[in-house]
Amino acid sequence: MNVWVPLLASITSFIFAFFVFRRYLARRGPHLLLWGIGMVFYGIGGFCEAYFGAFGWNPLIFRLWYLFGAILVAAWLGQGTVYLLAKRKWADTLMVILGLASIYGAIRVFSAELDPGLMTSGLHTGSELSGHAIITPGVRTLTPFFNLYGTVTLVGGALYSAWIFWRKRVLLHRTIGNILIAVGATLPAFGGAFSRFGIAGALYWGELLGAILIFIGFLRATTPMGTPLLRRAAAPVSET
Amino acid sequence: MNEEEKAPPPTREYPPIYEMVVPIALAVIVVVVVVLLLIIVGVALGLIGG
Repeated sequence: MNVWVPLLASITSFIFAFFVFRRYLARRGPHLLLWGIGMVFYGIGGFCEAYFGAFGWNPLIFRLWYLFGAILVAAWLGQGTVYLLAKRKWADTLMVILGLASIYGAIRVFSAELDPGLMTSGLHTGSELSGHAIITPGVRTLTPFFNLYGTVTLVGGALYSAWIFWRKRVLLHRTIGNILIAVGATLPAFGGAFSRFGIAGALYWGELLGAILIFIGFLRATTPMGTPLLRRAAAPVSET
Repeated sequence: MNEEEKAPPPTREYPPIYEMVVPIALAVIVVVVVVLLLIIVGVALGLIGG
Protein backbone atom coordinates (compact mmCIF):
# COMPACT_ATOMS: atom_id res chain seq x y z
CA MET A 1 0.00 0.00 0.00
CA ASN A 2 2.90 2.37 0.73
CA VAL A 3 4.03 1.98 -2.88
CA TRP A 4 1.00 1.88 -5.11
CA VAL A 5 -1.12 4.50 -3.34
CA PRO A 6 1.50 7.29 -3.64
CA LEU A 7 2.49 5.97 -7.08
CA LEU A 8 -1.11 6.35 -8.26
CA ALA A 9 -1.20 9.84 -6.74
CA SER A 10 2.00 10.68 -8.59
CA ILE A 11 0.74 9.36 -11.94
CA THR A 12 -2.57 11.20 -11.49
CA SER A 13 -0.70 14.41 -10.69
CA PHE A 14 1.58 14.19 -13.72
CA ILE A 15 -1.37 13.46 -16.03
CA PHE A 16 -3.22 16.39 -14.47
CA ALA A 17 -0.14 18.60 -14.95
CA PHE A 18 -0.07 17.60 -18.63
CA PHE A 19 -3.70 18.72 -19.03
CA VAL A 20 -3.00 22.02 -17.28
CA PHE A 21 0.15 22.75 -19.31
CA ARG A 22 -1.72 21.93 -22.51
CA ARG A 23 -4.40 24.41 -21.53
CA TYR A 24 -1.70 26.93 -20.67
CA LEU A 25 -0.15 26.60 -24.12
CA ALA A 26 -3.56 27.17 -25.70
CA ARG A 27 -4.78 30.01 -23.49
CA ARG A 28 -1.77 31.34 -21.58
CA GLY A 29 -2.35 32.85 -18.15
CA PRO A 30 0.11 32.59 -15.25
CA HIS A 31 -2.47 30.80 -13.09
CA LEU A 32 -2.39 27.80 -15.42
CA LEU A 33 1.41 27.78 -15.48
CA LEU A 34 1.57 27.83 -11.67
CA TRP A 35 -1.10 25.16 -11.29
CA GLY A 36 0.86 23.00 -13.75
CA ILE A 37 4.08 23.53 -11.79
CA GLY A 38 2.20 22.83 -8.55
CA MET A 39 0.90 19.54 -9.89
CA VAL A 40 4.43 18.56 -10.99
CA PHE A 41 5.51 19.21 -7.39
CA TYR A 42 2.58 17.02 -6.26
CA GLY A 43 3.75 14.28 -8.59
CA ILE A 44 7.34 14.50 -7.38
CA GLY A 45 6.14 14.17 -3.79
CA GLY A 46 4.10 11.07 -4.61
CA PHE A 47 6.96 9.53 -6.58
CA CYS A 48 9.36 10.00 -3.65
CA GLU A 49 6.89 8.35 -1.29
CA ALA A 50 6.50 5.40 -3.65
CA TYR A 51 10.29 5.16 -4.01
CA PHE A 52 10.68 5.05 -0.23
CA GLY A 53 7.99 2.39 0.02
CA ALA A 54 9.66 0.25 -2.64
CA PHE A 55 13.39 0.73 -2.05
CA GLY A 56 13.71 2.27 1.41
CA TRP A 57 15.60 5.28 2.70
CA ASN A 58 17.50 7.60 0.38
CA PRO A 59 18.52 11.06 1.60
CA LEU A 60 18.11 12.74 -1.81
CA ILE A 61 14.64 11.26 -2.25
CA PHE A 62 13.73 12.40 1.26
CA ARG A 63 14.93 15.95 0.61
CA LEU A 64 13.04 16.12 -2.70
CA TRP A 65 9.91 14.78 -0.98
CA TYR A 66 10.10 17.24 1.88
CA LEU A 67 10.81 20.24 -0.34
CA PHE A 68 8.27 19.59 -3.11
CA GLY A 69 5.72 17.36 -1.41
CA ALA A 70 5.58 18.83 2.09
CA ILE A 71 6.63 22.47 1.73
CA LEU A 72 6.02 23.86 -1.75
CA VAL A 73 3.09 22.09 -3.40
CA ALA A 74 0.11 23.76 -1.71
CA ALA A 75 1.67 27.22 -1.78
CA TRP A 76 2.47 27.07 -5.50
CA LEU A 77 -0.99 25.76 -6.39
CA GLY A 78 -2.47 28.53 -4.24
CA GLN A 79 -0.29 31.10 -5.98
CA GLY A 80 -1.95 30.08 -9.24
CA THR A 81 -5.31 30.91 -7.70
CA VAL A 82 -3.92 34.24 -6.52
CA TYR A 83 -3.04 35.07 -10.13
CA LEU A 84 -6.56 34.11 -11.16
CA LEU A 85 -8.41 36.17 -8.56
CA ALA A 86 -6.18 38.97 -7.30
CA LYS A 87 -4.90 42.09 -8.98
CA ARG A 88 -1.81 41.45 -11.05
CA LYS A 89 0.34 43.78 -8.96
CA TRP A 90 -0.52 41.92 -5.75
CA ALA A 91 -0.06 38.56 -7.41
CA ASP A 92 3.37 39.57 -8.73
CA THR A 93 4.43 40.81 -5.29
CA LEU A 94 3.30 37.60 -3.59
CA MET A 95 5.01 35.59 -6.34
CA VAL A 96 8.33 37.28 -5.61
CA ILE A 97 7.93 36.58 -1.88
CA LEU A 98 6.95 32.95 -2.56
CA GLY A 99 9.87 32.53 -4.97
CA LEU A 100 12.39 33.84 -2.44
CA ALA A 101 10.81 31.81 0.36
CA SER A 102 10.97 28.69 -1.83
CA ILE A 103 14.66 29.23 -2.53
CA TYR A 104 15.28 29.70 1.19
CA GLY A 105 13.28 26.54 1.92
CA ALA A 106 15.30 24.59 -0.67
CA ILE A 107 18.58 25.73 0.87
CA ARG A 108 17.40 24.78 4.36
CA VAL A 109 16.09 21.37 3.28
CA PHE A 110 19.18 20.44 1.28
CA SER A 111 21.55 21.51 4.05
CA ALA A 112 19.58 19.87 6.87
CA GLU A 113 20.95 16.98 8.90
CA LEU A 114 18.83 13.84 8.62
CA ASP A 115 18.27 10.77 10.74
CA PRO A 116 15.80 8.25 9.26
CA GLY A 117 15.64 6.45 12.59
CA LEU A 118 13.64 9.37 13.95
CA MET A 119 10.77 8.57 11.58
CA THR A 120 9.82 5.73 13.89
CA SER A 121 9.67 7.98 16.92
CA GLY A 122 6.47 9.00 18.66
CA LEU A 123 3.31 7.90 16.94
CA HIS A 124 4.95 7.15 13.62
CA THR A 125 5.74 3.64 12.47
CA GLY A 126 8.36 4.60 9.90
CA SER A 127 6.38 2.98 7.09
CA GLU A 128 5.69 6.43 5.60
CA LEU A 129 8.00 9.33 5.01
CA SER A 130 7.88 11.84 7.83
CA GLY A 131 9.51 15.17 8.54
CA HIS A 132 10.65 13.76 11.87
CA ALA A 133 13.81 12.61 10.06
CA ILE A 134 15.03 16.21 9.96
CA ILE A 135 17.35 16.95 12.88
CA THR A 136 18.30 20.54 12.08
CA PRO A 137 16.03 22.90 14.00
CA GLY A 138 13.96 25.47 12.13
CA VAL A 139 13.47 23.47 8.92
CA ARG A 140 10.17 21.82 9.83
CA THR A 141 8.96 25.12 11.23
CA LEU A 142 8.82 26.47 7.68
CA THR A 143 6.19 23.98 6.52
CA PRO A 144 3.08 25.30 8.30
CA PHE A 145 3.64 28.80 6.94
CA PHE A 146 3.76 27.58 3.34
CA ASN A 147 0.77 25.33 3.96
CA LEU A 148 -1.19 28.09 5.64
CA TYR A 149 -0.66 30.31 2.60
CA GLY A 150 -1.48 27.44 0.25
CA THR A 151 -4.65 26.45 2.07
CA VAL A 152 -5.98 29.98 2.39
CA THR A 153 -5.32 30.83 -1.26
CA LEU A 154 -6.13 27.51 -2.97
CA VAL A 155 -9.11 26.39 -0.91
CA GLY A 156 -10.25 29.92 -0.10
CA GLY A 157 -10.02 30.91 -3.75
CA ALA A 158 -11.99 27.87 -4.90
CA LEU A 159 -14.67 28.49 -2.27
CA TYR A 160 -14.86 32.17 -3.16
CA SER A 161 -15.25 31.35 -6.86
CA ALA A 162 -17.91 28.71 -6.14
CA TRP A 163 -19.78 31.19 -3.95
CA ILE A 164 -19.72 33.91 -6.61
CA PHE A 165 -20.98 31.56 -9.34
CA TRP A 166 -23.65 30.15 -7.04
CA ARG A 167 -24.87 33.59 -5.93
CA LYS A 168 -25.22 34.67 -9.55
CA ARG A 169 -26.59 31.26 -10.54
CA VAL A 170 -24.27 31.09 -13.52
CA LEU A 171 -21.78 28.54 -14.84
CA LEU A 172 -22.93 25.57 -12.76
CA HIS A 173 -19.99 23.50 -13.99
CA ARG A 174 -17.59 26.00 -12.40
CA THR A 175 -19.51 25.98 -9.13
CA ILE A 176 -19.26 22.20 -8.95
CA GLY A 177 -15.67 22.17 -10.17
CA ASN A 178 -14.54 24.66 -7.56
CA ILE A 179 -16.29 22.77 -4.76
CA LEU A 180 -14.49 19.59 -5.82
CA ILE A 181 -11.17 21.46 -5.97
CA ALA A 182 -11.76 22.90 -2.49
CA VAL A 183 -12.57 19.46 -1.04
CA GLY A 184 -9.66 17.83 -2.87
CA ALA A 185 -7.22 20.46 -1.65
CA THR A 186 -8.12 19.87 1.99
CA LEU A 187 -7.66 16.10 1.83
CA PRO A 188 -3.83 15.97 1.77
CA ALA A 189 -3.71 18.47 4.62
CA PHE A 190 -6.12 16.37 6.66
CA GLY A 191 -4.17 13.26 5.71
CA GLY A 192 -1.05 14.93 7.06
CA ALA A 193 -2.87 15.91 10.25
CA PHE A 194 -4.18 12.38 10.80
CA SER A 195 -0.71 11.03 10.05
CA ARG A 196 0.64 13.23 12.84
CA PHE A 197 -1.81 11.53 15.14
CA GLY A 198 -0.45 8.13 14.13
CA ILE A 199 -3.07 6.91 11.63
CA ALA A 200 -1.10 4.80 9.17
CA GLY A 201 -1.75 5.46 5.50
CA ALA A 202 -3.76 8.63 6.12
CA LEU A 203 -1.28 10.93 4.39
CA TYR A 204 -0.89 8.81 1.25
CA TRP A 205 -4.62 8.17 0.89
CA GLY A 206 -5.34 11.84 1.48
CA GLU A 207 -2.89 12.75 -1.27
CA LEU A 208 -4.30 10.21 -3.73
CA LEU A 209 -7.93 11.15 -3.18
CA GLY A 210 -6.99 14.83 -3.15
CA ALA A 211 -5.22 14.58 -6.51
CA ILE A 212 -8.16 12.71 -8.04
CA LEU A 213 -10.74 15.18 -6.73
CA ILE A 214 -8.77 18.27 -7.77
CA PHE A 215 -8.29 16.71 -11.22
CA ILE A 216 -12.00 15.94 -11.58
CA GLY A 217 -12.81 19.43 -10.29
CA PHE A 218 -10.51 21.01 -12.86
CA LEU A 219 -12.04 18.97 -15.68
CA ARG A 220 -15.56 19.80 -14.43
CA ALA A 221 -14.77 23.51 -14.12
CA THR A 222 -13.34 23.67 -17.62
CA THR A 223 -16.08 21.62 -19.30
CA PRO A 224 -19.47 23.35 -19.71
CA MET A 225 -22.47 21.21 -18.82
CA GLY A 226 -25.12 20.41 -21.36
CA THR A 227 -27.99 20.98 -18.91
CA PRO A 228 -29.32 24.50 -19.32
CA LEU A 229 -29.95 26.51 -16.19
CA LEU A 230 -33.56 26.81 -15.21
CA ARG A 231 -35.02 30.25 -15.43
CA ARG A 232 -37.51 31.41 -12.88
CA ALA A 233 -39.67 34.32 -13.99
CA ALA A 234 -40.37 36.38 -10.92
CA ALA A 235 -43.99 37.37 -10.32
CA PRO A 236 -44.80 40.84 -11.57
CA VAL A 237 -44.58 43.41 -8.84
CA SER A 238 -47.18 46.11 -8.64
CA GLU A 239 -45.72 49.48 -7.84
CA THR A 240 -47.94 51.88 -5.97
CA MET B 1 -51.74 55.33 -7.37
CA ASN B 2 -49.59 54.09 -10.08
CA GLU B 3 -51.06 50.95 -11.54
CA GLU B 4 -48.16 50.33 -13.80
CA GLU B 5 -46.86 46.82 -13.43
CA LYS B 6 -43.19 46.11 -13.72
CA ALA B 7 -41.84 42.70 -14.62
CA PRO B 8 -38.37 42.36 -13.11
CA PRO B 9 -35.80 40.51 -15.16
CA PRO B 10 -36.02 36.75 -14.71
CA THR B 11 -33.67 35.33 -12.16
CA ARG B 12 -31.76 32.16 -12.79
CA GLU B 13 -31.91 28.96 -10.85
CA TYR B 14 -29.73 25.92 -10.79
CA PRO B 15 -31.45 22.53 -11.07
CA PRO B 16 -33.19 21.77 -7.73
CA ILE B 17 -30.64 19.24 -6.49
CA TYR B 18 -27.83 21.76 -6.88
CA GLU B 19 -29.90 24.52 -5.31
CA MET B 20 -30.03 22.33 -2.21
CA VAL B 21 -26.58 20.73 -2.26
CA VAL B 22 -24.32 23.66 -3.16
CA PRO B 23 -24.94 25.89 -0.11
CA ILE B 24 -24.72 22.89 2.24
CA ALA B 25 -21.44 21.81 0.63
CA LEU B 26 -20.02 25.32 0.85
CA ALA B 27 -20.97 25.62 4.52
CA VAL B 28 -19.48 22.21 5.38
CA ILE B 29 -16.23 22.98 3.56
CA VAL B 30 -15.91 26.34 5.33
CA VAL B 31 -16.22 24.59 8.71
CA VAL B 32 -13.71 21.93 7.64
CA VAL B 33 -11.25 24.56 6.42
CA VAL B 34 -11.51 26.50 9.68
CA VAL B 35 -10.67 23.30 11.58
CA LEU B 36 -7.79 22.66 9.19
CA LEU B 37 -6.42 26.17 9.63
CA LEU B 38 -6.60 25.78 13.41
CA ILE B 39 -4.59 22.55 13.11
CA ILE B 40 -2.00 24.27 10.90
CA VAL B 41 -1.72 27.19 13.31
CA GLY B 42 -1.45 24.70 16.17
CA VAL B 43 1.43 22.96 14.40
CA ALA B 44 3.10 26.29 13.66
CA LEU B 45 2.88 27.28 17.32
CA GLY B 46 4.13 23.88 18.44
CA LEU B 47 0.88 23.05 20.22
CA ILE B 48 0.30 19.99 18.02
CA GLY B 49 3.13 17.56 17.61
CA GLY B 50 3.16 13.97 16.53
